[in-house]
Amino acid sequence: MEILYLLIPMGVVLIAGCIAVLLWAFANGQFDQLDEIGKSMPDDGR
Amino acid sequence: MALSQNWLAYDQPDLQGSVAVARTNGWLEAYIAVDGVHCAACVRGVQKALGGRVRDLSVHLVSRTATFRFNPVDAPLSALLQSLDDAGYRPHPLAQDLDAEASRLERRRSLARLAVATICAMQVMMLAWPDYFDAGKIDAGIEQLLRWSQWVIATPAVLYCGWPYLASAWQQIRLATVGMDTPIAVSILIAYAFSAWRTLQGEGAIYFDAATMFIMLLGAGRYLEGRTRAIAVDRLRSLAGRRPLTATRIIAGHVETVATALLNRGDEICVAPGDVVPADGALLDTLAQLDESILTGESRPVYRKHGDTVLAGSLNGNPFDLHLRVTGAGEHTRLAGINRMLLAAERDKPTLVLTTDRIASRFVLGVLFSAAMAAFYRWPHGADSAINAALAVLLVSCPCALSLAIPAVYAAAANLLSMKGVLLLRPSALDQAAQASHIVFDKTGTLTRAEMEVARVEVSGGMPREACIAVAAALERGLHHPLAKAIGALDLSKSCSDRSLETRGIAGTVEGRSYRLEAETHLDHGDAMTWLALTDDDGGVLARFGLRASPRTGAAHVVGEFKQLGLHPIMCTGDAQAPACAAATALGLPEVHWNQTPADKLGHLRSLQKAGAIVMAVGDGINDGPLLSAADVGVAMPGGAAITQAHADVILTGDSLDGLLELHRIAGVSQLRIRQNLGWAIGYNLLMLPFAFLGYLTPVLAALGMSVSSLIVVANALRLGGSVAPANAPGYPDAQMEH
Repeated sequence: MEILYLLIPMGVVLIAGCIAVLLWAFANGQFDQLDEIGKSMPDDGR
Repeated sequence: MALSQNWLAYDQPDLQGSVAVARTNGWLEAYIAVDGVHCAACVRGVQKALGGRVRDLSVHLVSRTATFRFNPVDAPLSALLQSLDDAGYRPHPLAQDLDAEASRLERRRSLARLAVATICAMQVMMLAWPDYFDAGKIDAGIEQLLRWSQWVIATPAVLYCGWPYLASAWQQIRLATVGMDTPIAVSILIAYAFSAWRTLQGEGAIYFDAATMFIMLLGAGRYLEGRTRAIAVDRLRSLAGRRPLTATRIIAGHVETVATALLNRGDEICVAPGDVVPADGALLDTLAQLDESILTGESRPVYRKHGDTVLAGSLNGNPFDLHLRVTGAGEHTRLAGINRMLLAAERDKPTLVLTTDRIASRFVLGVLFSAAMAAFYRWPHGADSAINAALAVLLVSCPCALSLAIPAVYAAAANLLSMKGVLLLRPSALDQAAQASHIVFDKTGTLTRAEMEVARVEVSGGMPREACIAVAAALERGLHHPLAKAIGALDLSKSCSDRSLETRGIAGTVEGRSYRLEAETHLDHGDAMTWLALTDDDGGVLARFGLRASPRTGAAHVVGEFKQLGLHPIMCTGDAQAPACAAATALGLPEVHWNQTPADKLGHLRSLQKAGAIVMAVGDGINDGPLLSAADVGVAMPGGAAITQAHADVILTGDSLDGLLELHRIAGVSQLRIRQNLGWAIGYNLLMLPFAFLGYLTPVLAALGMSVSSLIVVANALRLGGSVAPANAPGYPDAQMEH
């Protein structure tokens, strides 16, 4: 089971990465308008 | 002829400063209300109108407002507002009083903390999983690795997500007060520090999972609380910002648009038809008709002569511009006086001490004491056992369920009410609403509709009925007062020329003959209707029109229901005796007060409250402002003054008095759920305490039990019947922009 000595720390690093991305998304205002987004029209790019 | 809207005034620094907030790099953020935005297609329309000149544009359908950032150098605000106006979405810049940015950041942080806490709690639990089972011996090296990993992941949870509790507890300790956050912070720190110590030692059980799960549950409660409040704050922001920000001033024959705040005594100003008078002033015209219903509740037009004072807040009901010489502006208007009364009344509002706060301090001391006692009791069995017991006591008695018990019910109640057309601005009003003993109604605009209708037409025989109606409609068409609107809408066939205002009415020429339509104030009909007489050249009466403000449909039903429920309904109106009594009889109200000034209404309220009554007040006008802000539950109608709505506890967004019945019913059920939740939370704690004390309850089991307990509390709150997803409030009439 020595592989766990690699996998568990890797898991921790992965979690740290996820949390970093999550915090970036928050700082970027991605979660500010949870309700209003559903009411806006899709952007066709025109 | 109405003056065209001049947006250029909004580029002036003082006015721009009150409607736009400075952000980074010289960009400003504006917050405006937009008329005519009903659906997603309109949102797109606004986006297209503003184009690429703005950043971070967000349009809110429910409150019909929009926020965006603009650079005043490249895209002046006036140009943006003009584009919106041209596209058909009339913009109204709102004065920025409340700091919305701070509350937005706070909400964001609260959700971020919850998200991070959830991730950490799940991961720590996964790493702690092997400890929950007795499946065999784990290799010592792996076990130590698991401990270290849990420590690493638990650290951001405690420091970032747990920060609000740690900081708050520190504040409480410094000020020597006791609050809920103290035992919470103590539990978190003990669990964390002890587990860290154990990890360094390399042996023994650790409790990172309990600590992180704890933080996650508390974060959920806090987030729910913040969300309910956020919806109310958004609405308050859009209401509080609506005031007449600009006025049209005439200086040396030159017309300019200035900020209302810059008006001085002696300035000559001009008010367009249908607009709100921005300052108190002396009338420079010979005669004018004003609509003061929102200021005083008087449902009939008021006639002012040259030199009379016209009040700020009244509506120009004439087809021509009003000219006034300012006698009082800003803080010196009668309107400002009423607002000061409103704010003073709000400060003296009876505050409800929340149930949790009352029991909190006693509870908290008890908890800390029990934890110390448990540690002391288990000391002979070793330090390990002692700390286990203390931790178990702290965790099981820490009020997770308690802190969720009330916010969860408020959130569910607010949600359910919003679906029924009732917006709860202050959730604590729910407690008061359930216990209300009296209900005070305003008349004009609340019990009766703001529009008037023609109830009777009596023809004297000189002209056929249809002709009389057509002539009267021609005379009144285009005027802005409710009486004029009611008659003007009756018929569209004729038109009138040479219209002029007389002392009591209108004179004009229709199809070559001159007529007069005058109010019959000299005759007391005693039937509470406003009578207008149509006379011809010789003074002979051709027809008489009786108008009245019709009661809202369902108003009588609502009054009847409340009487059945045991509440005592009262009418308090600024209107005169005859219309007040007539309405009271029609609706079944046992007690009526008429000719009430704002101070009179407030006085009645105070005497009721002094006698121990809990009073719900319903109103809409500016004159109801002080009454609503001082009442235990202030309920505002959506079509009335914005400032009254901003200081109310509840807004009936569905524009129906049935909302009051819903409010009362749901408030009652909420009280029941809160009591059930509190009972369960406390009962569960008391039940588990002896187990924790005696050492039978490991901290993990305590934390687990806590989560189940919290789930039960939230599920019970959701039983109120609303869905969890946020609902759209039904469409509501826009608050009168000018107020």
